[in-house]
Amino acid sequence: MGLFLKDINLKGKTALVTGATKGLGRGAAIAIAQAGGNIVAVGRNQLELNSLEKIIKKFKVKYKSINCDVNNYNKIKSYILNLKSLDILVNNAGTNIPEPFLKVKKTSMETILNVNTKAVFNVAQLCANQIIKLKKKNGSIINISSIFGIVAGQKRTVYSMTKFGVEGLTKGMAIDLAKYNIRVNSVCPNIVLTPRTKKYFANKTYNKYIKENTPLNKVVTVSDVATSIVFLASEASSMITGTSIIIDGGWTAK
Amino acid sequence: MLKKINLKGKTALVTGAGKGLGKACAIALAEAGAKVIIISRTLSDLNKVNKIIKKTKGTSKSFICDVTDVNAFKTVLTKINKLDILVNNAGNNRPEHFTKVKKKNMEYMTDLNMKAVFNIAQLCSQKMVKFKNRKKVGGSIIHMSSQLGKVGCEGRNVYNMNKFGVEGLARGMACELAKYNIRVNTVCPTFVETPMVKKFFKNKEFKNKMLKKIPLGRVAKESDVATAVAFLAADTSEMITGTSLVIDGGWTAQ
Repeated sequence: MGLFLKDINLKGKTALVTGATKGLGRGAAIAIAQAGGNIVAVGRNQLELNSLEKIIKKFKVKYKSINCDVNNYNKIKSYILNLKSLDILVNNAGTNIPEPFLKVKKTSMETILNVNTKAVFNVAQLCANQIIKLKKKNGSIINISSIFGIVAGQKRTVYSMTKFGVEGLTKGMAIDLAKYNIRVNSVCPNIVLTPRTKKYFANKTYNKYIKENTPLNKVVTVSDVATSIVFLASEASSMITGTSIIIDGGWTAK
Repeated sequence: MLKKINLKGKTALVTGAGKGLGKACAIALAEAGAKVIIISRTLSDLNKVNKIIKKTKGTSKSFICDVTDVNAFKTVLTKINKLDILVNNAGNNRPEHFTKVKKKNMEYMTDLNMKAVFNIAQLCSQKMVKFKNRKKVGGSIIHMSSQLGKVGCEGRNVYNMNKFGVEGLARGMACELAKYNIRVNTVCPTFVETPMVKKFFKNKEFKNKMLKKIPLGRVAKESDVATAVAFLAADTSEMITGTSLVIDGGWTAQ
């Protein structure tokens, strides 16, 4: 801790990360561990949860994995209620099925809405209650949103509907949880290169669309987003709540 | 995965660095390893800040300059070899009810909060783009905005006009400077424990009224803002441009 420069340090804190096996969730878990935080990783793939354990353990922090689908309310609830320590939630699990509005299938819409909105709400509520029950002096919840929580994009009506919703939820939660000193924020990345988005980037037209819309002319990396998540998780951002960090190389500034 | 706030080898210029937020930012940037150029009208203030930076083993150089004097500021820039970071901070506020705003106060504030902010940003950008290695070593400009650059507030109409303007300027600059690898963002703090705010808060009724609007129930510390500025100055925020970091304890979330 400097005179005016606060440390970004998560020693002794425990973070639950959903969708922790791949992409942003995995990156966030690793970055939090690097900052000294213990990890509770939620995911559906045991092999990947195990491979993540090997990486996390290198940072000499505690690791616990929960093999659970966030859509399974009762199962995730029982896990969260049994946590002995919880300070941070990275509410990351989410999905997308890009389809033009006129062609969106009912099943796609429901799949996206169930994960991105309903499960996001449920996990946030369960974790907030647990942080309060554990009588923590402070807490931080980071909802993973998107630039499509702020603007629209091609074939992203459902995704935008859910992410605009997450932006609203973030602000509402921030107001209700302020008295418990639990801060709630979101990160809004541009399209990040992850295993899920890799297939989009393989398409030349899509690649061009992304580059042309990003003034900095670079793709956002998992590390860019994970670093912002750790900043929001730590007390370095102790007055930041109810807002978003937009990590988009200028996409939404246009 | 986790990027650290590290400004070694970078040169940062901070205006209004004699007091309050500017002083805190200058010290924080020095603590992060930057060589800091501090600008203020008051020699005794500059000396104090230089002394603190020296104590924390940082490097600084100071210039007495009124930022509304373009020619004086141009001269300052001729004495600097290289510039990577600008904290465009100098500003002021004279709160008055809209129907009672004195012409001279509106002009004083607008000259400082908008004209000088624009001129300083333009002159510094011109200096920053000249650096040969800019494609590799990114530049970063941080404007000191306010929560009142996002929402209105009684008695703050001129300040609102100025700070909303700064928000617009930051986005425009971000679009144009992206190709030079220079990022432009703002920080939007709520009331911060600075000499200026302490003066406003002598009015207890006003203080309580304002605190009620901050869900976290406290004002920001100078270190909260200075740390966010350092985060935006460093490569930790490599893909963040054309946006704002709102540090308001939830004020604007409501």
